[in-house]
Amino acid sequence: MTVPLRLGAGFVLALIYGFILLPLVVVIASSLTAGELMQFPPQGLSLRWFARFFADEALMQALVLSLRVAAVTTVAVTVIGTMAALAHRALSGWARQWLRTGLLLPLLLPELLTSIGLLFFLYRIGLGKTLIGLQIAHAVVTLPFAFVSIAAALDQLDPALEDASNSLGASGWDTFRHIVLPLVRGGIVTGALFAFVTSFDMFTVSFLLKPIGGNTLPLALFDYLSYDYDPTAAAAAAVSVVLAIAGVVVIEKLVGLRNL
Amino acid sequence: MTEVRIAGLRKSFGGQPALVDVALEAAPGEMITLLGPSGCGKTTTLRCVAGFLAPDGGDILVDGRSILDVPLRRRDFGVVFQNYALFPHMTVTQNVAYGLRVRRIGAAEIASRVAASLAEVGLTGLGDRLPRTLSGGQQQRVALARALVIHPRLLLLDEPLANLDAQLRQEMRALIRAVQRRQGITAFYVTHDQAEAMASSDRVAVMERGRVAQFATPREIYQRPVSRYVAAFTGEASALAVTLRAAHAPDRYTVGLGDAQMEVPGAAGLSPGSRHFLMVRPQAVTFGPSGIPATVREVAFFGATQQGEVELAGQALRFVTDPNERVVAGETVHVTLDPAHAWLMPEAAA
Amino acid sequence: MSAADASAARPAQEGARVPSGRPLTPSLSRKGRGRLRAGPWLLATPAIVLLVLFLGAPYVDMVVMSLRTAGHGTPYGTGFTLHHYAEALGNPVYLGALGRSLMLGAIVTAGCLLLSYPIALHLAKAGRSHLFFYAIVISPLLVGVLVRNFGWLIILSVSGPLNQVLRGLGLIDMPLRLLFTQGAVALGLIHVFVPFMVLPIAGALRKIPPDLAEASDALGAGRWFGFWHVTLPLSFPGIQAGTILVFVLSVSAYVTPALLGGQGRTFLSILTVQELLGSFAWPLGATLALVMAAAMGLVVLGFLAATRRLAERTAR
Ligand SMILES: Nc1ncnc2c1ncn2[C@@H]1O[C@H](COP(=O)(O)OP(=O)(O)OP(=O)(O)O)[C@@H](O)[C@H]1O
Ligand SMILES: [Mg+2]
Repeated sequence: MTVPLRLGAGFVLALIYGFILLPLVVVIASSLTAGELMQFPPQGLSLRWFARFFADEALMQALVLSLRVAAVTTVAVTVIGTMAALAHRALSGWARQWLRTGLLLPLLLPELLTSIGLLFFLYRIGLGKTLIGLQIAHAVVTLPFAFVSIAAALDQLDPALEDASNSLGASGWDTFRHIVLPLVRGGIVTGALFAFVTSFDMFTVSFLLKPIGGNTLPLALFDYLSYDYDPTAAAAAAVSVVLAIAGVVVIEKLVGLRNL
Repeated sequence: MTEVRIAGLRKSFGGQPALVDVALEAAPGEMITLLGPSGCGKTTTLRCVAGFLAPDGGDILVDGRSILDVPLRRRDFGVVFQNYALFPHMTVTQNVAYGLRVRRIGAAEIASRVAASLAEVGLTGLGDRLPRTLSGGQQQRVALARALVIHPRLLLLDEPLANLDAQLRQEMRALIRAVQRRQGITAFYVTHDQAEAMASSDRVAVMERGRVAQFATPREIYQRPVSRYVAAFTGEASALAVTLRAAHAPDRYTVGLGDAQMEVPGAAGLSPGSRHFLMVRPQAVTFGPSGIPATVREVAFFGATQQGEVELAGQALRFVTDPNERVVAGETVHVTLDPAHAWLMPEAAA
Repeated sequence: MSAADASAARPAQEGARVPSGRPLTPSLSRKGRGRLRAGPWLLATPAIVLLVLFLGAPYVDMVVMSLRTAGHGTPYGTGFTLHHYAEALGNPVYLGALGRSLMLGAIVTAGCLLLSYPIALHLAKAGRSHLFFYAIVISPLLVGVLVRNFGWLIILSVSGPLNQVLRGLGLIDMPLRLLFTQGAVALGLIHVFVPFMVLPIAGALRKIPPDLAEASDALGAGRWFGFWHVTLPLSFPGIQAGTILVFVLSVSAYVTPALLGGQGRTFLSILTVQELLGSFAWPLGATLALVMAAAMGLVVLGFLAATRRLAERTAR
């Protein structure tokens, strides 16, 4: 490649990467302003809006609810997803294909349509506008994230290792605990993290299935933006960005991003 | 000391037969090698014995008892895999100790047995290393130690040396054989390297498309093959069409090759008058002042030997000679065949 | 000659070493096998139950709901009717919204493709330093759509940085009204969905053996020729997957149009949610959702049919 072409390509790439990062940078920067208004670039630097955020009772309740829903979702989905991924590994042929497609379905179907179906269905079985209904919906939508990541890790596992373990006298449980689990731990953690973050950030599902008297953080933020337009919202958003960055770092440390 | 008998073993994969009718046996302490080309069913047989696969039919008896109902983990067989299958997240010591740990054996006994096992395969001092920091040969030693430390009733090895270079292969082959003999373990060994099979087994089973074509000592397989297939798979061999003139003993015959006549050993009960094949190893061929005239087609120098092909009565015959003997392509030579390296078999067995 | 004959023909001194065991009857108990087969399905049961009950049933329920009569004081009535389909397909308000949604989907998909391909090419070249760039592409996925839209809300506002830059450059005198427009929605969605396009394309590009490019080079083809005739077609499976994903996701997107879009001529997703949550007209809402799904399905099928030959030739 000639030098000008290379420079041009580099410039285009930089622009696109910049475009991807821009809104995140703007949100974090705006949350650090010392001024009264949400603006970019920020006027002076301070953490006062973070203090305001952590003092806002409604937002705090929402944060706690979001964390709780995400935590329950993560545990449930990681266990169910791991079991399903183990089943997927043990099956072959059409059964394996069908199981995989079925488990990916919540990811392939538009979130809006799934939420609408759940809105009707949960109402009809008496779980409309309840926390447990919302919890189930989160589990359904995040299950594919856990499954895909764990199934991918299992695919990397040499079946001979399990054969070796069994031939050495280990029971199925021993083999799972001592061989399979340690070797796919990275995939499980990644899946769990994705499930957690997806649940924590989920908007449309929570919006349609909002339990009575319970707002998740994205919903509270949405409400907040509708009437208040101060940097508290940016601080709230920045908190979830920081959470995401922590997630990326943890995943990279454990498994490496390129294995996704 | 374990005795094994396998009878009528069958296995298909999705309608495709992989094992048709496999019968084998191993006396206590015997090393049995399964030899054959790729896809002939060696691994499938071994995996049925190990318990990784359930056969469709037939039976496997160990010390007179069928093991088909015994779950894999209760069979107490040591398995060595082609790709070693070492647990990557465990050290050498942990790998070797694994089979003892799942048997809930005390720590002190584990430590001493692991140390003894590592010493046996020459790995003392490498216990704390992770598998990926070891060379291929070292990894295979760990795999061997791991299989042996549980005092297996049976040792199963599937091409354990396939990933090693020639030098290491020889070394490891000797090690495996030495340990197997010392501990008196009955073993099944899969390979498609005929030299490996010949050199280190008590008996060899040559497999052909899901069946055992011949099961006998290396010497018998080599010198008295039941078919051209077996002959070709156990080393270089030429097959000459000959006419059977007369039978002397049940397994001694006079055959006619062109104008010449000679006495050769052969399969029992062949009837004179029909056409048969004479299997001739290259080392049976000597050149001299008298004999059957033949034309040298090609000759190549291999250092320790000189090998090539002559045309004799219109048929190709491979030879091997001393490298210093004068053999020139295109010239006429006189061939004598040593009956000790020849074997007569019926045309059907071709 | 069978194996049994062969072993019988062994020299006698070896035969003596094998004690004759009990008669060999080719029998095989299958006890061990049933257990192995039931295991996987047992493990998959919780997932299957969850999905059948809370994904399958809700979609069935949505179809049933679309056939219900409207309720009075309740979300839906007790009778059944096709009326809502006539309404959804006959009312220009809904048809216009559907058209705008599909158009939005097309624009967003094209925009994503344009921005994603260079990135995917860059990432596919691998190398350790590219980890950093992977992180850049993946990190927005981990930040909620809401937060990302929020960034655009700040950037595009009347006093926001974009207007400031434009004014600073002297390109405009008065701040532009950028927010609450269809353009803002498209921009927001493109940003949201770029990772969904990048990852499948980068995956497809990584599967192309590097020697193909070298073969093209070796045959004397120029860079661009090689790109057009080798790299681009072979990455098509990734393009196809990304295109379908982004199109479906953007047509059905709700948050971004709600936050960045205007009040007026709006999108079908917004109208659907309004019917459901604002007017409590569940049957009509269900019908609109299904019409949207059907329209998306038709477009995707059309796309698949149009690109079938290319996809077949470049698969794997
Ligand atoms: N799990 C399986 N599914 C389907 N077919 C199989 C399976 N395992 C083996 N086969 C088939 O069974 C036949 C015998 O295979 P096997 O692995 O036993 O051969 P092999 O003698 O070990 O060959 P190699 O020397 O290449 O290892 C082959 O045709 C193979 O394709
Ligand atoms: Mg094999």
